[in-house]
Amino acid sequence: MPYTWHVNARHLWVEAPPIQFYYRFILVFCTQIAEVLKLLIIEDERPLNQSMVDYLTAADYVCEPVYTYNEAMQKIDGYDYDCIILDIMLPGGSGLQLLQYLKKSRKQDAVIIISAKNALEDRIEGLQTGADDYLVKPFHLPELSVRIAAILRRKNFNGQPVIIAGDIQIDTIGKEVLVNGAPIALTLKEYQLLLFFVVNRNKVLSKNSIVEHLWGDDMDFVANHDFIYTHIKNLRKKIVAAGGNDSIRSVYGVGYKMQVQ
Amino acid sequence: MKLFTKYNRINITATIATFVAGSVAFYFVLNYILLRQLDGTLKSEEQEITEYVQSHKQLPEFQNTRRQWVTAQQVMLPMQNRHLCSKPFFNKQEDENEQVRQLTFSILAQGKYYNVTVSRSQAETEDLLKLIILVTLGVIILILLVNYIINRRLISRLWQPFYYTIDRIKNYTVAVENPLQLPKEEIDEIALLNESINQMTLHVYRDYHALKSFTENASHEMQTPLAVIRSKIEILLQHEELKEDSIGQLLAIENAAKKLSKLHQSLLLLSKLENRQFIADELVNMRQVILTRIDEWQDLVSSRNLVVEVQCEDVIISFHHHLAEILVNNILNNALRYTPAGGEISIVLTAECLRVSNTSASGPLDKGKVFTRFYKAQAGGDGTGLGLAIIKEICSVAGFEAAYTFEDSKHIFTIYFRQ
Repeated sequence: MPYTWHVNARHLWVEAPPIQFYYRFILVFCTQIAEVLKLLIIEDERPLNQSMVDYLTAADYVCEPVYTYNEAMQKIDGYDYDCIILDIMLPGGSGLQLLQYLKKSRKQDAVIIISAKNALEDRIEGLQTGADDYLVKPFHLPELSVRIAAILRRKNFNGQPVIIAGDIQIDTIGKEVLVNGAPIALTLKEYQLLLFFVVNRNKVLSKNSIVEHLWGDDMDFVANHDFIYTHIKNLRKKIVAAGGNDSIRSVYGVGYKMQVQ
Repeated sequence: MKLFTKYNRINITATIATFVAGSVAFYFVLNYILLRQLDGTLKSEEQEITEYVQSHKQLPEFQNTRRQWVTAQQVMLPMQNRHLCSKPFFNKQEDENEQVRQLTFSILAQGKYYNVTVSRSQAETEDLLKLIILVTLGVIILILLVNYIINRRLISRLWQPFYYTIDRIKNYTVAVENPLQLPKEEIDEIALLNESINQMTLHVYRDYHALKSFTENASHEMQTPLAVIRSKIEILLQHEELKEDSIGQLLAIENAAKKLSKLHQSLLLLSKLENRQFIADELVNMRQVILTRIDEWQDLVSSRNLVVEVQCEDVIISFHHHLAEILVNNILNNALRYTPAGGEISIVLTAECLRVSNTSASGPLDKGKVFTRFYKAQAGGDGTGLGLAIIKEICSVAGFEAAYTFEDSKHIFTIYFRQ
């Protein structure tokens, strides 16, 4: 590994001021101690990459953006990540080749493919190559976030099977929800909704993204998404009845937000 | 008419005509030659008589045979020239009319002029001619017979490679197969045909794949900028200080971007369907597909107070799983989208057809246009205008038929599984 590390260091020396290298080094060191989850975001479209970095950094992940095949190869070789977000069509090579390389070198990094290809064969190909999930562009950022969380929980590296948000505890294995320590009974849709909110806490979630998460993107034809209101109302009622904080509030015109300190 | 039948007709007609014309010419030539020969015989007879008269100074005793006889008649004045002619003659011995050839000449014997007529029957010549005509007819019949046998046996074998080539072309689908590799044939024409078809399918194959990858790439390349738009809007929506008006604008942009993305996906699907990239050869339980979809619908249905009536038989048809889902999705979504709140939707599945009807807020749709792309009965609307076109295209891939009718102020869409 030192050789790769050395190459990386030299590369950074040329490309960026040295302080950034040390900053990275310190960051990597800190993540080791604080068990912060590290993501590698491989996407050549810079604005999209930036959006993902912005959103996911705010969700307490440490994100490293890379834009080309070769950069990605260096990163994969040099470091371990909890989850890699992988675009298929990259300058210099295919994301699937990267994935094959990962699997060949027996790396444990989880992988989510983000691709513009929507066809069933493409999904199957991606998943068979060893990806953990396949997300079709254009996707909602909260959806990406919830998928990453699900994979990390499943893989169970540093991912917590129990998610705590304020007074709400979700045991994702037993699919049990505790409010202030007391279990509440939720329908499947309410459970999925709550999980979506909790993973994307303190974020404004548009009605579109909620509908697509719960019902898939075939439901999008319904101009009026008010039918989700019923589900949210019931969920809030159950949480309040169990003595929890009414942390889900509606954001006028946009959707909903769960505010948790 | 088969090419060879046509060729044969012309060939046989020409052959017969040539034979008839040839026989007629042959007849006249032969007739002329035989007469000349006959005349020669008569002339040598004349010579013999003349020589006899010169040496013996008197007419000879004529020796008549059945075929040839000579008569002499005393005349006052001799003929200037000898006279040759054919005339009918009644042959008493054979009791039949026959042509005879006569040569008449004058001769001076013992101071008297005689007109001597040498006659010879033409019967032999006629027999010969008859024989020739018979042989000609025989040859014509033989040619027809041989032609017929060649047609039946040889031709079908000769055309075998041609029909093989035609068969391969008929069953060729550019979407699934590589370019055709037809074999090299001995016969130049077939070899040329095969080679040309090999070349043509190669071109078609290349063009098709170029176009296909262009369509796919174009569609995919557009999804990434759309993803940028969507993600940027979502980041913007997180800003607390956004004004109500700005939120509205942002959501409008997001919806447009989403519609664009859907539109591209639908067009891509349509082009895949048109290119026959799906093969409907899986067994699909339609009932299950429909019930799954209806289950997902439940929230929507109850929020809009719709009455949904479902009658599904257990129907398993040969279809494509993914296409079945798209078909059911589109036809049900269409019903859901255009049913006014409190309306009714009825879904009936039998072995023959799937029939979805819904109460209408407007009048009947244009039957001729309802399945065409971008046909919209109402202005605006949030659909892509491709849902029904996709249904139609899926039906044509699977060999089904889609129909629309309007009865009792209800839109009825029916998919007939087998025609």
